Amino acid sequence: MDDGGPLLFLIALAPFIGALLPGLMIRAGRTVCAISTAVPTVIALTMLMVLAPAVLRGEVIQAEVDWLPQLGLSASFFLDGLGLLFASMILGVGLLITLYARFYLSGEDPMGQFYTYLLLFQGAMLGIVISDNILLLLVFWELTSLSSFLLIGYWKHLPEGRQGARMALAVTGAGGLAMIGGMLILGNIAGSYNLTDILQAGDAIRSSEWYLPALILILLGAFTKSAQFPFHFWLPHAMAAPTPVSAYLHSATMVKAGVFLMARMWPVLSGTDAWFYIVATTGLVTMVLGALIALFKDDLKALLAFSTVSHLGLLTMLLGFGTQAAAVAAVFHIINHLTFKAALFMTAGIVDHETHTRDIKRLGGLRHLMPITFLIGTVAALSMAGIPLFNGFLSKEMMLEEASHTDWFSSPYAVPVMATIGALLSVAYSFRFVSHVFLGPVRDDYPHKPHDPPFGMWAAPALLVVLVIVIGVAPFLAEGIVTAAASAVTGADLHPHLKIWHGVTPALWMSVIAVVGGAVLLALHGPLDKIWAAAPRPEAKAIFDRLMAAIVALSRGITEIGHNGAISRYLAIFTAASVGLGWVAYASSGLSAPTRGLLPVEPVIAVGWIMLVVATVSVVVMHHHRFRALVLLGIIGLSISAGFAYLSAPDLALTQISVETVTIMLLLLALHFMPKLTPRESPTGLKFRDAVIALGAGGGVGALAYAFMMRDIETISDYHVANSYEGGGGTNVVNVILVDFRGYDTFGEIIVLGIAGLVIYALMHALLDGPAARRLKNTDFSQDRSRDRHPLMMVVVTRVLMPIALVVGLYIFLRGHNEPGGGFVAGLVVAIALLMQYMASGFAWTQERKRIEYHTMIGLGVVIAGLTGVGSWLSGSPFLTSAYTYVHLPPIEEFELATAMLFDLGVFLTVLGAVMLMLYSLSRIARFAGATVNEGPMDYDPGLKDEQEAER
Amino acid sequence: MNFFAELLISAALVVSGVFGFVGSFGLIKLKHPLQRLHAPTKATTLGVGGVLIASMIFFFAKTGHVSVHELLITLFLFLTAPITANFIAKAYMSRNLRKGDLPDPPGEYGWSVYDDPPESRSDRP
Repeated sequence: MDDGGPLLFLIALAPFIGALLPGLMIRAGRTVCAISTAVPTVIALTMLMVLAPAVLRGEVIQAEVDWLPQLGLSASFFLDGLGLLFASMILGVGLLITLYARFYLSGEDPMGQFYTYLLLFQGAMLGIVISDNILLLLVFWELTSLSSFLLIGYWKHLPEGRQGARMALAVTGAGGLAMIGGMLILGNIAGSYNLTDILQAGDAIRSSEWYLPALILILLGAFTKSAQFPFHFWLPHAMAAPTPVSAYLHSATMVKAGVFLMARMWPVLSGTDAWFYIVATTGLVTMVLGALIALFKDDLKALLAFSTVSHLGLLTMLLGFGTQAAAVAAVFHIINHLTFKAALFMTAGIVDHETHTRDIKRLGGLRHLMPITFLIGTVAALSMAGIPLFNGFLSKEMMLEEASHTDWFSSPYAVPVMATIGALLSVAYSFRFVSHVFLGPVRDDYPHKPHDPPFGMWAAPALLVVLVIVIGVAPFLAEGIVTAAASAVTGADLHPHLKIWHGVTPALWMSVIAVVGGAVLLALHGPLDKIWAAAPRPEAKAIFDRLMAAIVALSRGITEIGHNGAISRYLAIFTAASVGLGWVAYASSGLSAPTRGLLPVEPVIAVGWIMLVVATVSVVVMHHHRFRALVLLGIIGLSISAGFAYLSAPDLALTQISVETVTIMLLLLALHFMPKLTPRESPTGLKFRDAVIALGAGGGVGALAYAFMMRDIETISDYHVANSYEGGGGTNVVNVILVDFRGYDTFGEIIVLGIAGLVIYALMHALLDGPAARRLKNTDFSQDRSRDRHPLMMVVVTRVLMPIALVVGLYIFLRGHNEPGGGFVAGLVVAIALLMQYMASGFAWTQERKRIEYHTMIGLGVVIAGLTGVGSWLSGSPFLTSAYTYVHLPPIEEFELATAMLFDLGVFLTVLGAVMLMLYSLSRIARFAGATVNEGPMDYDPGLKDEQEAER
Repeated sequence: MNFFAELLISAALVVSGVFGFVGSFGLIKLKHPLQRLHAPTKATTLGVGGVLIASMIFFFAKTGHVSVHELLITLFLFLTAPITANFIAKAYMSRNLRKGDLPDPPGEYGWSVYDDPPESRSDRP
């Protein structure tokens, strides 16, 4: 059974891996790009053909790898007759489309992008048809929605393309969501998410009380994807896509995904009244309605789109009948529809490409100008109309045969009559396609002089048309694949015989009526068209747009309750919620009795505390004066550092002091360009609200700290202290926590810090474009600027200090693992050392003297930290497990080398890069506001004066 | 720790305390910003210096090793305190005084705060 299992994985992966190629190969030329797209397809197709004989014998090929077993999600694939049919369709047509698109796309279109999207789509589609796990199938299902969105919107400059892509995504995406629900229900009933298991559990599922909800949800997914009424409206709008996309997605593959799903689930879901009435009725209505609209469409592609809707309805109806013969007809029609419809789309594309119009009313008489295209288009259209000796006739006869003995609510006539009307309309629009485009007199007002395209462009449709005729004349050739697929659909061992002549049956008479009626209808098309144009019809797009607008307004309304862009509101919600949660925790469990007493308050501490309180209150009172507030913030920060130092947390004190210094420096620089006063905006009520929240939160945190400190509570700190040296190889517990125990947090934090630096840089772009920029431009900073911007003394001293500061930074970095310090503080110290240079000699002058871009530094830091973490995988340990060793180099004492130090290096680089990037952003504002760049390191340079004197 | 060492430490601490207090007091008492400038600079150099000397003696007496951290701090202080004072003075001049309020300096160039730098340093935008 599992022969060839590995091949299945390769088949599933080939398009995704191949998707990387076209984007690169486009540099080597358009043909190379197309070939590189074809290669993965050919590989996958070859492997499929290797597996095909076994599948045709009735075997099922399976392959499985656990992915997320907790969720029941596994990467399992299987290939049976139905999967083989669809997979070969997807790959085969994919190959033809690749060829066709090579000639269809113009030089201005980014071809690499197109082929990448195409391969992504192909992979997703292939995944759907060979998935054995319905959760995996859902993943691929959503992937087709996403990749088809990219393909439909490929011509980004066209509004129709963008709107059509959005509509397709919204409709199919919504259906996909519904389907997730249905599939989960199904999996729950069956007790497994594996299709092969579910397919065995048909009776249990049909008798379950959850059957109907699951059925409806899954059908929603299938109907939206396969454009069934009333969700059919997205398909015509998706025709804004390039024609290769329409031919591939909207005739051959994606829209058939819904049909595929119904076929796949046929053994499980069909056979009930609910299935018959929902599926068959929807299919019937869609078939007739689609055909009717198609008849009156003037856009070639819209005509084909609605005819596709109609044929998808036909397939849905056949599956809805629930009989084995109908399933055989459906499978056969899937093949036939693929051949003639893809050929027709390509023909329409050729006509559009050559005449520069798709409007039927502006075409006609092309048979003389484009004989090859005429031949291809006519054969395909006749097959679509169901004329004998073409393959469309065979499956349509089977459909009519099935329809002729189907009762609908005990009426024996409803289905046959409607089916005949559908067939009749189908004949009419097929004939119209031929006669209004190719027949008739040659016109002299084509937008572009038409002629047949190059061979490469008509080769693909020609091949399809050959298939149309071959299957039409010798249907037994397709018997093998139809048998395998139909057996897979029904789960029974079928042996259908495909023949051209069935004798004089009701179906034959229905066919005759359809063909004659269709011809008559075409003759009457002119007057009917006028009536149609005058009749009121609901405009699907307008309804859809209104619906979307309403949904968007609703969600915006809901969002803006909590997310209106005012940071004060976020903080209020966040803080109030935290306090509330704390209160709930307290109220529900209470507190145990305190086990510790209060310590006496020493005078020094009391003084420090009073200073802190006074400074804090002062900030509240004076915060409108921004400089004063900043000075007070500095006092608070230093007091807190002193507190840390007093409470034996030298690491925190060190970090706090460095952070404080950098922050104050950057804020001072920023404040220079901002208004000196904060306007008074908050009304009293708001202030009161904020005061209540602030006091509540502050009091809450205080109470929490008090409650904890009055009790002996076991914390994780004990574990950290006990394991710091043995597990992490460092005696500085804080540092070991940062780089080892909670290294993953630190890794996340440096990424956030790096992002913050980059975002500030990016925001500056926006800032220098908006109203703030105009204010800056109009503010005159020249008056409060000293002429001596870079004083000699400052410059000299900072130069002297720089090596010392760098050594301090290095020292703090190196000792970080065992003593207070580490990469973060070291990064800040070095940043301060550099900041001094920038302040002394000006940003631009200093900037020219550094080698590494700060963006690079951030990226490098994150990468180094990440690689260090990944490195521990090599020894089979989890991410970021640190290793350490002791090294002895003769001149220095024995010292320790830990991988944690590499990680710390990453932290160091990120911190440094982020801080300096912020400074860079501020400097850009300064330059924008009119600051000039100095040529030398200082304004009055005595050395220069000596030089000048020497020259004299 | 012998009595002599303790005496030295105490003396250094007292000196530092006195200067620290005088510096802080001066900051409040003195009226003019340029006068006020003097008070904290004394406090940072002599006041902090006293503590540092006391610390060095303490650690030498206790461990027998010479502690050099304090020297480094002193170095930084000596480097930064004058610059700070210089900057405060410059900022004051730039904000509150005009060129005419001051006598012309004796050298070749004018006040650096008011006059543009010599021509060889032409700025580029």
